[in-house]
Amino acid sequence: MTYFLDLFLLSLVVGLVGVASNPAPYFAALGLAVAGGVGCGVLVGHGGSLVGLMLFLIYLGGMLVVFAYSAALAAEPFPETWGAGSVKVYVLMYLFGVGVAVWWFWGGHGGYWVIDEFKEFFMVRGDIGGISLMYSVGGGMLVVCAWVLLLCLFVILELTRGLSRGALRAV
Amino acid sequence: MSPYVITILLSSLGLGTALTFMSSHWLLAWMGLEINTLAILPLMAQHHHPRAVEATTKYFLAQAAAAATILFASTINAWTTGEWNIYCLSHPAATILITMALALKVGLAPVHFWMPPVMQGLTLTTGLIMATWQKLAPFALIIQMAPFTHPLLLTTLGLLSVFIGGWGGLNQTQLRKILAYSSIAHLGWMIIVTQYKPQLTVLVLITYIIMTSATFLTFKLMATTKINTLAMSWAKVPTITAMAALALLSLGGLPPLTGFMPKWLILQELTMQGLPLTATMMTLSALLSLYFYLRLCYAMTLTISPNTNNSSAPWRLQNTQATAPLATLMIMTLLLLPLTPLAQTLTN
Repeated sequence: MTYFLDLFLLSLVVGLVGVASNPAPYFAALGLAVAGGVGCGVLVGHGGSLVGLMLFLIYLGGMLVVFAYSAALAAEPFPETWGAGSVKVYVLMYLFGVGVAVWWFWGGHGGYWVIDEFKEFFMVRGDIGGISLMYSVGGGMLVVCAWVLLLCLFVILELTRGLSRGALRAV
Repeated sequence: MSPYVITILLSSLGLGTALTFMSSHWLLAWMGLEINTLAILPLMAQHHHPRAVEATTKYFLAQAAAAATILFASTINAWTTGEWNIYCLSHPAATILITMALALKVGLAPVHFWMPPVMQGLTLTTGLIMATWQKLAPFALIIQMAPFTHPLLLTTLGLLSVFIGGWGGLNQTQLRKILAYSSIAHLGWMIIVTQYKPQLTVLVLITYIIMTSATFLTFKLMATTKINTLAMSWAKVPTITAMAALALLSLGGLPPLTGFMPKWLILQELTMQGLPLTATMMTLSALLSLYFYLRLCYAMTLTISPNTNNSSAPWRLQNTQATAPLATLMIMTLLLLPLTPLAQTLTN
């Protein structure tokens, strides 16, 4: 699991570099998806398995639709990848920055050693108690949360409806 | 807008405020504030003209930024102290961040810039909700936060608000912007006393809500949003015009009217706390606000604008708006000052 966490953290930084180096929106969305996914993995590795799962489902499931739409809106015939001239400069610059940060903080932390006897299963154990509490004690609040989601739906429908008079619709 | 949707939105508006009122947990308080923001957005943009949509977008951005800051600061506090309770907010960075975020939410002075343009884009009814109901939930949190916040921060927010509220309203001809600046100035009065006597903050909030509701409803009845149409209102609704001038003076805080009570009690409290300089500055700033209220009164009642003769006798149609709320609020705006001993008894 230590190696998994190292891999996740490394992929997180690489994904962030992929977004920050200003490639075409397709590839930036890809970098964001990679960073989001492995970020959920990091959360799971630190004991937040429910939070990690929810972020994975909602952020990567819901926001990916948004990413897909915005990438489709910004369609280009020749999108710039990370190898293209202007992007490559940024990629190298950020990777150099990451390297400097790694060099600076090297050895101070001691790594992410997992102290547990269940090996890979340690992750599902941590907050099962919290989940059961949330569904038993916090039931009313969950109802309110569901209501908020329904309200969001109504608000968005109300703000965007009407082809003839929509001032919010630029396209 | 469909009546079902209106019902859903208005009841959610109530739900958000109630949720913030009853919560002792920062996440729940944050959720109430977000419900409040979400529920009013379609009401703001219901007349889909670009000005209203722009106001809605501005409001959404400011409120979303403030809510995100609240969430961030309460997370910092939970991280350092392990405590989500509103009364246990002890980390100084978190208290300052949350106070500034709540100031952005209600529109206190260094972070007030969203408020006048947003008000200008709304109808008078939505503007009334914005100036009254939307202030309740953040103020519930501000009052709970005040004992933990740095006193200098609260005093700075209060003094800046009253002065900028006064100065900003001076050069306006649009009534909704004037009312927005008047709101900023009153928020300053509320925030200046909240660390010494939070009951007085509630008192100012209540009286402000009464007075500004009466003013908004009057302007709605006259269907006026500018000073120059206000100058014609004496010919349409003479009685309301005469009383509206008094209501504006009540907002300005002149003695025999309701608006004098909160200012009086606050100045007394500040003096008793040994802060004569702050009290003097607050009093002087009230003069700035009084100037633009007086100018509105002048335009409404003290002068007749030069016009053709037949414009002074316009066609008077039967009024179809509900006037009972306006009547109640107007009487409370003008005549609540004798209840000062009661207010003092309740707040001591």
